[in-house]
Amino acid sequence: MRRASIFVLILGGAALACVLTACGSRQAAGPAPSLVRVKESDYRIVLRPARIHAGRVRITVDNLGPANHELILVHALRAGLPVRTDGLTVNEEALQSDEVAALEPAVPGTIRHLDVDLPKGDYEVFCNMAGHYMGGMRAFLVVT
Amino acid sequence: MTHGSFQPFRSRGRRVLLAILCTFVLSSALSVGLSIWSTSRSQHKAAVVEIAGRQRTLAERYVLQILLVKAGRQADPYVLARDLKGSATALLNGGTAPAVFGDDDSVSLEAQRNAVARAQLVQEEKLVNDLTATGAAILEHRPVSSVRLTAGEHPVISDPIERLRIIAALTSNMALNATRTIASATDQNIANLIVLQIGLGVGGFLLSLLLAWALIATTKRQTAHFRSVVDASTDLVLAFGAKGCRYVSPSVARMTGRTEAELLGDGVFEIVHEDDRGAVRAAAEQGDPPELVFRVLDTSGAWRELEARVSDLRRDRQVRSVVFNTRDVTERVRLEEQLTRQAFHDGLTDLPNRALFRDRLDHALARSGRSAEPLAVMLVDLDGFKQVNDSLGHDAGDQLLQEVARRFATSVRSSDTVARFGGDEFAVLLEGADERQAVSTAERLLENLASSITVAARELVLTASIGVVLHNGGSEGGEDLIRDADIAMYAAKEGGRARYAVFHHDMARELGELLGIEHELRVGLERGEFSLHYQPMVDLESSRVIGVETLLRWDSPARGSVPPNRFIPVAESTGLIVELGEFVLREGCKQASLWLADESLDHDFVTWINVSPRQLAPGGFSTRVHQALADTGVPPHCLGLEITESAIVEPGAAGDRARHELEELHALGVRIAIDDFGTGFSSLGQLRHIPIDMIKVDRSFVQGAELDAKDATITSNLISLAHALNVVAVAEGIESTGQLESLRQFGCDSAQGFLFARPAPAAEIYKVLLSPVDEATSTAA
Repeated sequence: MRRASIFVLILGGAALACVLTACGSRQAAGPAPSLVRVKESDYRIVLRPARIHAGRVRITVDNLGPANHELILVHALRAGLPVRTDGLTVNEEALQSDEVAALEPAVPGTIRHLDVDLPKGDYEVFCNMAGHYMGGMRAFLVVT
Repeated sequence: MTHGSFQPFRSRGRRVLLAILCTFVLSSALSVGLSIWSTSRSQHKAAVVEIAGRQRTLAERYVLQILLVKAGRQADPYVLARDLKGSATALLNGGTAPAVFGDDDSVSLEAQRNAVARAQLVQEEKLVNDLTATGAAILEHRPVSSVRLTAGEHPVISDPIERLRIIAALTSNMALNATRTIASATDQNIANLIVLQIGLGVGGFLLSLLLAWALIATTKRQTAHFRSVVDASTDLVLAFGAKGCRYVSPSVARMTGRTEAELLGDGVFEIVHEDDRGAVRAAAEQGDPPELVFRVLDTSGAWRELEARVSDLRRDRQVRSVVFNTRDVTERVRLEEQLTRQAFHDGLTDLPNRALFRDRLDHALARSGRSAEPLAVMLVDLDGFKQVNDSLGHDAGDQLLQEVARRFATSVRSSDTVARFGGDEFAVLLEGADERQAVSTAERLLENLASSITVAARELVLTASIGVVLHNGGSEGGEDLIRDADIAMYAAKEGGRARYAVFHHDMARELGELLGIEHELRVGLERGEFSLHYQPMVDLESSRVIGVETLLRWDSPARGSVPPNRFIPVAESTGLIVELGEFVLREGCKQASLWLADESLDHDFVTWINVSPRQLAPGGFSTRVHQALADTGVPPHCLGLEITESAIVEPGAAGDRARHELEELHALGVRIAIDDFGTGFSSLGQLRHIPIDMIKVDRSFVQGAELDAKDATITSNLISLAHALNVVAVAEGIESTGQLESLRQFGCDSAQGFLFARPAPAAEIYKVLLSPVDEATSTAA
């Protein structure tokens, strides 16, 4: 009888420890990030979803090819993005204060992640390989 | 080491070496092949990369030419458009990429197989189409918006030229992508090739290492195998190089009690007997002779006899030694020495026997012939010994003979030879002795014999009669000297015993005349006082009488029956033996013809006749035998001639003549027997070349065969020798059933002796010839 009581006590302690541990983990992780899937192809960028809530965002970038593509996330400008004098690429140097995040060019078939904390606002994503932006590789993300 | 020998590992070692070689060849061939193929592929890839890269330039040049045309300058964008399209198609599907004026020649390309590069080239081809279609719209003043774009681009700018530039940039970028993909694939191929080459090298190295390890392991096993075989062998193996002994098997160390280190170099020679050391060292240095017997000291300090087979392997690169394969033959050598001693020594006194005495006498005569030194031979006969034997028994007689032998041996120099001929007869050989020294020795023998000998609790005093013969460089042979010494000894006995007599040439004649024997012999021959007695020869297997030996008997009116040993020496020395021998031959053949006329005897019944060496020496003996056979009608195979060993091994012309006569008679069918075999000194080599049918083992051995182990051994060996020569062995002088049983055990074929029948005249012996002999009943008869 006494042995059974000790066993129940140990089992209860263990269960309590598990619950406390689980609660602690949830507190450390915070709210789940918004997920945005970006599909890059010649010469188009598609966002799913294109509208999200502010906060942490995980952007998954999938290059479907066949060309190499990069991804740059900037604050959307009312006047549009400045273009370099070659007329073919965005002037990234002029956008330094507006640039939020970027991924270097990747070969087709590559899937990458970009974790960012986005406040409310309008954002534009584009590929700045030669002619890609001007050829249509751009899309907008609205954060509410 | 030697060809055709047991080599369990040789093929395995060769296989391993072959495998190592194959591995190297295969990996090298694979590596070279891969390099060639890879170089070829790289060259092709370089051409692809070059054309793909050229597309970028061509796209930009196309925009420039459109602008030039619009500016009214001279340009031909259509040709460039064709080159762009042709190159794009060739890159994608293979074919010839067109030459570009001022830049390149046309290049033949294969269809692109890399999936990523192929997708990029498809896109590039579309972009080229879009670019050239847009350019054509500009040149033809059509709205560019009417151009349907195929590559997925949707420019946001409507200005035609800007639109064209964007499409050109996309085309250029796509060409760049494709170039990088193809180059990257090439780099990857090169990296793969490098890895493969390294893998091949490492794999080949590891495999070779493994095989080399296997080879080493095999070699170790082989070495261990042969070392185990050599270690376990009782044979002794020694290998000699330029610096002495370089290898000894453990058995050598075990036998000698020395360590391997002590035996190597010159160490091994220290245990070789001093007398053999030179021969062993010479054989070790020269590899010759092929066989060698030498002595070494064993752990107990005794000498061991080793028989080595010497192999000169100095030219064998794997050995570079003279190798001794050696066996311990000590027991065999000891046995040989023992047998030799038994064959040449008297078993009772251990003195040399008649055979050894003859041998030493012959050698002494040969030395005397070279050095002109004299020598003397003495025959010693104990006086009255028979009475001692008869009264005190044979054991006492043997003890007496042993003591006499000891006294005689101590009475002469160590270089002299004292021998026992049998019974109470001794002989002495004195090398380098003149008459004075010989006489002095004879006196010393008599003097030493004079003191009493205690035998069977009796004090006995013996005397002896000594015959002395001197050799001063004459032509006498050994038998002649012994015969003359015998005559002198007989003269000493006749002179009153207990004395010596020195032989002189007239002694035989004087002796004969003294006794009247010679004269009486001649008269007796004329008067028919001689007759023949016959003693049967019995086949021991069937107990049938298969022949008779003819024996001469003299019944003198004055002397009565004279024993042969009394008158034969006189007849020999006077030459009368020739006439007596002819009488025996003639009468023997007559009797043989009478017996053969009787159908009751076998057709192979042989009458044996004794032949003296003096009958053979002058020649013409075979003619007389022919005549006797012709006169009597006796078939040659029914006549047998018994000759002594000395008659057939006699050197010189007389011996050659005798042997020739015997060969002739044997060829005719006449049987030949060696009489008194064992008492002469016949070598096997001589016997092999003389035609004989029978060997008669001397009675002195036969009579001792029952009780004397040495006599038994000698008799057995003589019978074995006869069988080895493929001739019949006959034992003489069998007197007891014990002797007969021993002879049967030894495998003797035939025998004669008192046990079967005493010699008797033809009329008396006839009834014995007709029925199988029963030794018990015949003894009584």
